[in-house]
Amino acid sequence: MNVRACQIRALAGLAVLELFRRKDLIVVFVLSAVILLPLTVLTPFGVAGASRYVNELALLLVWLFSLVIGLGVSARLFPPEFESRTIYPMLAKPVARGTIVVGKYLGALAASVSALVVFYLAYALLEGVRQGLWFPPVLLQAFVLHVGFMAVVTALGLAGSLLLTPSANLTMCGLTVVGMLFFGQRLPALAAAQTLPGKAVLTLIHWFGPHVEFFDLRQRVVHEWPAIGWGVCAVALVYAAGYAALCLAVASVAFRKKRF
Amino acid sequence: MNGQGLRTVLLIAGAGLVVLLGQAIPAFFADRMPQAPGEDVLALVLGDARLEFSRSLEDKAEEYFHGGVRHIDCTLQSDAAEHAHAEHVHGEHEDADDHDHDHDAAHAAEAKTAGDPWQWIDGHVHEQAHRHLKGDQTVEVLPWLWAATRMSPKNIQAYQSSAYVLSYVLDKPEDGIRLLEEGVRNNPATPELDFSIGEVLFNRLHNAARAEPWFVSTREKCLAVQNDEKHAEELALLRLRAVFYIGYLAKQRGDLDRVRACLQEAESLNPQHEIVRNLREMLNPSETKH
Repeated sequence: MNVRACQIRALAGLAVLELFRRKDLIVVFVLSAVILLPLTVLTPFGVAGASRYVNELALLLVWLFSLVIGLGVSARLFPPEFESRTIYPMLAKPVARGTIVVGKYLGALAASVSALVVFYLAYALLEGVRQGLWFPPVLLQAFVLHVGFMAVVTALGLAGSLLLTPSANLTMCGLTVVGMLFFGQRLPALAAAQTLPGKAVLTLIHWFGPHVEFFDLRQRVVHEWPAIGWGVCAVALVYAAGYAALCLAVASVAFRKKRF
Repeated sequence: MNGQGLRTVLLIAGAGLVVLLGQAIPAFFADRMPQAPGEDVLALVLGDARLEFSRSLEDKAEEYFHGGVRHIDCTLQSDAAEHAHAEHVHGEHEDADDHDHDHDAAHAAEAKTAGDPWQWIDGHVHEQAHRHLKGDQTVEVLPWLWAATRMSPKNIQAYQSSAYVLSYVLDKPEDGIRLLEEGVRNNPATPELDFSIGEVLFNRLHNAARAEPWFVSTREKCLAVQNDEKHAEELALLRLRAVFYIGYLAKQRGDLDRVRACLQEAESLNPQHEIVRNLREMLNPSETKH
């Protein structure tokens, strides 16, 4: 058990180092600053005091870049190893394939969450300086649920990387996540408005698709709504853990059956 | 000098040349440049799609006014006015009203999610209560309205909403008027903006002398575009309102002939309308009271 934990920690550490070595985080951080800084000094019609639009755009960028980082990191865990054949030395070691999958997944998740921490700290700083609102509870909840989102997205990206080609994986995962963010909430209503084949497809997507919109608290943060109950938050996190576990189970099976 | 250094020097030289030409050409060829300014970049790139983008930005402002809730069936101007009225009438019960909105939303969410765990989670995470920005908070809608007016100068509603917030909510009527005047310059044939200027001048600045020409120009523009069948009803109502103000201001001056002419015009537009009754009352107060 202890050996397995060490193996997982070593694999995860490598994935975290990979993110910081590639400097993706620095690029998206600079890009965010370039977009947001001019907006913070904007005074529409000469009237100062509006701040929610900056908050909304900042959170939109946080979500966009976290998706890019989460998918990018998880989708790049296995394909480069297959291409450069560095997977063979790893398989030659006494490490179970399931452990490799879990270790790499935890590494991708840790890397994504470390980027998320930087984003949210920057956001909290922006909100605190502009509005004097330092770390409200709803922002903490937004961060916690965003971690749940990253858990689902990285698991999806990792499972996809073992089932599809890299470009197909990124496209499919990107479309699924963005589609669910836009339409996930309205799927039952959309299904009800369809005739049979369409209705069945939409109902299936509703029951089995990744409901990443559960983790999106942007509206609450931006418009200063009260925080949700921690019980609801916990239920959403259980959903994230369950969905990620399902994806990892699929990934483990695919990795075990993979012929090199 | 190595290849990398040479490339950097060439890049800097190229950028410098572009900046130099940008500064020099207008100076050297000042009398040979086009005298009428061309369309801006947004107009060239987006064309007529600008108005659609502008309306989306305006919808975003409405969303902000409703505290981030989408698809509420009321608008910034109408709703702000109604709620201001409700506030005035009900006073301390205002919080209770908001509570009822929350309560109704919670009941609706419970009813909708019965038997579906995903909808239960979603309903509790994204629970939408009907709320509004109040007082100085309304400044939050301005960036979107500003963007809407800059995206398309043809979006009259965006000008009206922006001016409404500036003049009535944030107590900056002169800023509101300046914005509406810009809208009139961009939409010279549209009577709505003239009427809005007249109303702000009359209701907020209590300046009847400055307001009257705008009501007159509203009426004239309504007459000029009265062949517009699509908006005939709206135009008739706008003309009726402009005629009322013209009549009211004439009555203040004691110009009863003008009031009679206004009444006649109003009767020809909609004899049953309350405005016509009010104009009649202006002419014969004792008669109408009986």
